[in-house]
Amino acid sequence: MIDIKKEIQKDRRAFIKNVMSGTIAGSLLMVIPAGAALDQDLPEQLAGIRGDDSPFTKKKFAFVVDVTACIGCGSCCVADKNEYNVPDGNYRTWVERYVIDDHDEVFVDSPNGGLDGYTKPRTDIPYPVRDTFFVPKLCNMCEKPSCVQVCPVGATYKTEDGFILIDKDRCVGCGYCIQACPYSVRFLNPVSKTAEKCTWCYSRVRQGLLPACVNVCPVHARKFGDLNDKTSEVYKILREPHVISVLKPGMGNQPALHYLGLRREVV
Amino acid sequence: MEKKYKSNAYAHVVRLAVVLVVAGGLAVFARGMFLPDTMGQYGHYRGSDLVDQRNVEIRSHTNESCYECHRPIRLIHKAGVHKTVSCEFCHGPYADHITDGKYVAKMPVKRDMEIKTLCLRCHNKIIRARPEESIKVVAMPQHLEEKKVNIEHNCNQCHMVHDPLLWVKAAYDMMGMEMKGDKK
Amino acid sequence: MSAAAHGETIAAVSNYIFPNDLHVHWSLMIVLYPYITGLVAGAFIVSSLYHVFHIKALKPVARFSLLFALAFLICATWPLLNHLGHPERAMSMMLTPNPTSAMAGFGYIYSAYFLVLLLEIIFIFRPVVVALREQATGFMKTLYGVLAIGSDNVSEKSLKLDHKIIAFLAAIGIPMACVLHGYVGFIFGGIKANPLWATPLMPLIFLLSACVSGIAGIIVTYIFLMKISKREIDIECVQTLIKFLWGFFILDFVFEMLELFSHFYMATHHWHTLEALYSGPLFNTFWVFQVGIFSVIPFFLLMIMSLVRFKDSLLLFFAPIVSIMILVQVLLMRWNVVVGGQLMSKSERGATTFHPMWLEKEGILPAILIMIAPVVILWIIGKILPFWMDDDAVKTA
Repeated sequence: MIDIKKEIQKDRRAFIKNVMSGTIAGSLLMVIPAGAALDQDLPEQLAGIRGDDSPFTKKKFAFVVDVTACIGCGSCCVADKNEYNVPDGNYRTWVERYVIDDHDEVFVDSPNGGLDGYTKPRTDIPYPVRDTFFVPKLCNMCEKPSCVQVCPVGATYKTEDGFILIDKDRCVGCGYCIQACPYSVRFLNPVSKTAEKCTWCYSRVRQGLLPACVNVCPVHARKFGDLNDKTSEVYKILREPHVISVLKPGMGNQPALHYLGLRREVV
Repeated sequence: MEKKYKSNAYAHVVRLAVVLVVAGGLAVFARGMFLPDTMGQYGHYRGSDLVDQRNVEIRSHTNESCYECHRPIRLIHKAGVHKTVSCEFCHGPYADHITDGKYVAKMPVKRDMEIKTLCLRCHNKIIRARPEESIKVVAMPQHLEEKKVNIEHNCNQCHMVHDPLLWVKAAYDMMGMEMKGDKK
Repeated sequence: MSAAAHGETIAAVSNYIFPNDLHVHWSLMIVLYPYITGLVAGAFIVSSLYHVFHIKALKPVARFSLLFALAFLICATWPLLNHLGHPERAMSMMLTPNPTSAMAGFGYIYSAYFLVLLLEIIFIFRPVVVALREQATGFMKTLYGVLAIGSDNVSEKSLKLDHKIIAFLAAIGIPMACVLHGYVGFIFGGIKANPLWATPLMPLIFLLSACVSGIAGIIVTYIFLMKISKREIDIECVQTLIKFLWGFFILDFVFEMLELFSHFYMATHHWHTLEALYSGPLFNTFWVFQVGIFSVIPFFLLMIMSLVRFKDSLLLFFAPIVSIMILVQVLLMRWNVVVGGQLMSKSERGATTFHPMWLEKEGILPAILIMIAPVVILWIIGKILPFWMDDDAVKTA
């Protein structure tokens, strides 16, 4: 039997002892000096990027979403909203619920983008359910982005390492890119009045961290990595004989976001 | 019949042409003035935006960042079945807690029914959308009825939130029993 | 509910829209912009029919059409500036236009066309302006001096050159007017993500409806202005305008219906979303109003008015009515395309709703104000330059 209280007390004493003995320099509150790099407390989740100040990484990133693993908890949505202070009613990422009955009718919903999780079952399914699953959605980071094609001023652009970003200081807020995106991942931020979308957490990735949503997913449904790294999980998945698909392939955008186990009912 | 005019026959055309050329020149000059320096450096965009994008504040960290200071919780959480659950999912992003290495604010802690709602976001059997059972799911209040527990009880009265099987395992040990099923 | 046919897995059963598709981003302002540039392009076509194609019957309105076009062109940027999230950055479209973006064309196309129109007006009115300058005093004298480019020379030699320049400007003005409005059509037509918008016919449909709206606008204002100044209306002119209106409207209506019919006939992947749109949210604004009332009725009216010689008073009674109906039809068409296209979600499973409000930034009141502005500007222009060929200022010049 574990005596919980004892465990905590034991460690707490050791901890305080360490502080007193100066092992942890100064007070706990000044452990990390102001303005220091993130290196000290953040693990390097993606190797070979942190500290590289060149304009583009030498990586070929891919994002893989495993639909068979997603449980619809919405942790990814919460993390994303926290990370970017996304205004209510707008979504950089969201999770959809699909319910298919045995008459092949498809019922889709996404209450508040899945931000509060799915707390209620659907009660409007007329026939017995034959299949259900959750589908996370985010920017597809297309190889041939429609949004970049239509931006009149060059405020949204594709980097050499495949990221599609939005220059908040140049965007005029015309909304053309929002009309052009086949996946509806873009929105007009009502506060900054510029276009905004998921960036696969570009600033995190440049620090060698995983995107926020990938980091928090408790069931590892979201995967991110470098296709140039043959030991990476995404490389292995895309090389193995799984059923990998992308959304709306007929559009010709060639998304870099791949889905594992996606059903054809998903649009 | 020839009327005397002050201006040349073509004066107006020449003047217009001059005005247009001067205006054009001014426009080109103005463009040079207002164009951002790094525009077109790598493509049709402002090159310095790449730096701006890299400097976007990172607000969430990883569980490791929380573990750095919160040692007792680390012992329990990292070793338990909830190790893949993000601290920041329940308690909010790192940046709201620490800025520039300094403690900023206390982080929210879920209480009472908030805890139950949060648990059921992942563990609710009634939400019809699992291709197969990847994590343990239960239906409420059936789960409590099965375990012969008062149905008013909250989840964390049996399941320690940072490692939900900690007390359960301890209870089985205490009784000298084996826990059934494959608990991930 | 019957079993869905095998393969019909995208049927819109659940009315699901993507979370970001709830809000309609392009609303009244974006409906107005093509409407205004349409009136400009159409009015210019009327003027060019006289200046380039020498349709003598249109001489009475040839100059007026240019001034009408100018008044509306001045206001064309206002709805766009009102719509932008950052209008102060609007010049970026001129500084760094993205060559792959149809919208980036706006700055240069608009400026170039403005220049052509302005120059054409300056050259055409120069003799009149010179004469007016002689008689004017004070501020007006200076103003006329500027408009005459400081020249008082109206000799045969100078007028001959002017004439050549006018012919040139009127000629290049036609393709430029087509581009001014055609590119707007391409802004929509080039968006593959939107099944209502993505069609090669879109620039053509926009352009033809522009011509139609411009001609109708000229008819209405010509008759109205003649009536309130108690002048004689040139019946031949109105008759000719009606015939051209009918001709252009046939083309416009045919292409609008052809587009829809092609989609219906081929019934490809996206047809079900379009069908749901046209039988649902757009049923009234499209079928009942745009097509039923404001297309079919004017179509037959115009046909009768063109083929049957009416009594003058009857012609002058129906001409403004049918023209106003056409003006409404074109506005409805813009509405149905711009707003209608955004109602369908890209989820292909549902539609959102849109209700314009009176007092919001891009609401009904600003829209009305923006449409009144060109009328006011035209009135101001009328105080400077004579609209009609039989005005005293023109006769004495």
